[in-house]
Amino acid sequence: MTAVVLDGIVLGLQFGLLGVGLTIVYGMGGVLNLAYGSMAVVTATVVSITMRSGWPAGPAVLLGIVTAAGFGLLLNLTIMKPVYRRRGEDRVLLSLLLTIGVAFIVDGFLVWRYPIEALSLSVGGDPVLILGVPMRTGSLLASAITILAGGALILFFRATTTGKAVRSVIQDEIGARLCGVNPAAVRRLIFTLSGALVGLVAVTQSMTSPVPISAGFEITILALLVTVVGGLGSIRGAFLAGLILGMVNAMSSFYIGAYVTTIILLIAAALTILLRPSGLFGERT
Amino acid sequence: MTTDDINIASGTSGVLRGSGRDRRASYLAAFGAVAVTAFVLALLPIWIGDSRTLMGVAVAGLLFACYAIAFNLIFGSTEQLFLAVGALAGIGAYTSAIASDRLGIPFPLAMMLATGLAMLIGGGFSWIAVRRSLGIIFTGIVTLTFSLAFDNLLLGQRGLTGGETGIVVDAGSDTFLRQQIPPYYVFLGLVIVYLVGYVLLHRSHIGWAFRTLRDDGVAAELAGVDVARYRIYAGAIGGGMLGFAGALWAHVEGFISPSTFTFVHVDVPVVVMLVFGGIGTLMGPVVGSAVFTFLGEILASFSQMRLIVEGALLIALFLLLPHGVVPVLRSGASGLWRRLRPSRS
Repeated sequence: MTAVVLDGIVLGLQFGLLGVGLTIVYGMGGVLNLAYGSMAVVTATVVSITMRSGWPAGPAVLLGIVTAAGFGLLLNLTIMKPVYRRRGEDRVLLSLLLTIGVAFIVDGFLVWRYPIEALSLSVGGDPVLILGVPMRTGSLLASAITILAGGALILFFRATTTGKAVRSVIQDEIGARLCGVNPAAVRRLIFTLSGALVGLVAVTQSMTSPVPISAGFEITILALLVTVVGGLGSIRGAFLAGLILGMVNAMSSFYIGAYVTTIILLIAAALTILLRPSGLFGERT
Repeated sequence: MTTDDINIASGTSGVLRGSGRDRRASYLAAFGAVAVTAFVLALLPIWIGDSRTLMGVAVAGLLFACYAIAFNLIFGSTEQLFLAVGALAGIGAYTSAIASDRLGIPFPLAMMLATGLAMLIGGGFSWIAVRRSLGIIFTGIVTLTFSLAFDNLLLGQRGLTGGETGIVVDAGSDTFLRQQIPPYYVFLGLVIVYLVGYVLLHRSHIGWAFRTLRDDGVAAELAGVDVARYRIYAGAIGGGMLGFAGALWAHVEGFISPSTFTFVHVDVPVVVMLVFGGIGTLMGPVVGSAVFTFLGEILASFSQMRLIVEGALLIALFLLLPHGVVPVLRSGASGLWRRLRPSRS
């Protein structure tokens, strides 16, 4: 039982960080980035290839995350330009369709060039006993990194001027502009940050189980579920939803079975939308 | 009021607009377009009828045209983003296959059963979306989760669905549905029926309601249009169309597997086709599916490239031709028409 709960927490932390990366992009004016998982896959490919050509893990991971961040920035500077000119549901719809196109190009290209590539980082060391349960060092390291990153994010959003500027844009774009915040600069920052976050999740995920190149779409969907359950645009909500869904996932895959787990996860997400369309922490729009 | 005034008052969206003589003219134009399409497509087997592969591709193209027409009715006419096109067709296919092969129900009856079930589920989506007042995006996400859950269910219920390997459909194997040419005409007939249905529906009071709620949902509600009811109509009819097409496909193909009905293999191409052809137009779905079937055949030898090309096209289309090619063709044609008889304007 304790083991299942701990597994759920490990998984949930990563779900949470995954959701945060997507939710901040949605938060700033309703842009749904469905190329999100593709950015994770880009990181996985870069890290895996550079490591095979002899790079040590540290620089390879750094390069992978920087690549994903650059990818995010590039998206914002190119394909998102016409999206920002729209308003409301039009904007969401256009962003959704354009980024699906990007996801197709990236996933199609990577699967074509590197069909069997998968990123799997092995972290050495003996299992550590936690509450009497032996935990793999990979899971522990992944959780530690995720907690650190999550903490840093919260600190950034709460305590720095830039972070507050970002939150002001999330809350009210016009109001933020009136106060002298430049929404274009904030968007650049957010898209870069979002790419870096999902790249980081790809890395931590690969410490516990391999991340195949074909997983882009799956990662996007998972992030979307976490985001929707937590409330679109809510950082707190994404973390909480990540933990809840991680726990649901661990419990049902342990007690019921692997394939039902996905269905239970999907039903949980659908029920949340139906019972509370704004999510756990979202504001009703 | 002149006919021009009525034309302006009734807006420019929809297949049929205006009233009186103008409406009759556009009505004729719509049926003319359907008839020409039917005629051209009916001649296709003369060239490719010998090739089993090409006929298979053509039938698949017609199947996608059916999907796109149904999706156009749901999304184009009433702005409900159903990302469960593949799932609804899959429900039709699996229900019909299992009901006829396992339960021994005659397959035409099983197909009706499948259509009814898909109608119920499609209408159900609309009902939920209306009751919970979900916007386009949330309707999309709820139906997407349904698609994914359905896919997992197919993979998991091995005893019933054969899991990943799929099931062989026996019902229909001793009929003309399994010959080389007839399935093509069966599906062509279905496309024509769907198109004619689309025109008739848009000409009825339902069509008027669709247009008002597409132009402005709130204003339509205030003007006394029961928006909820018409959305549910669209969801149920579109769902039934998808279910029937899927069921027919199961009996024609003789084999179904989950990958035939996944989001990536059905919903995404259908959206691309419809956007290319023109959302909310009569012939858009047919033009889109014809072009993409042709394109898919050219790119068949590089199947991975196909995904890349589809993605690039999706982006290019949305940026350059947000209303699709059919409106461009139509305005080009009417421009030509006006130039041919300049004295009357």
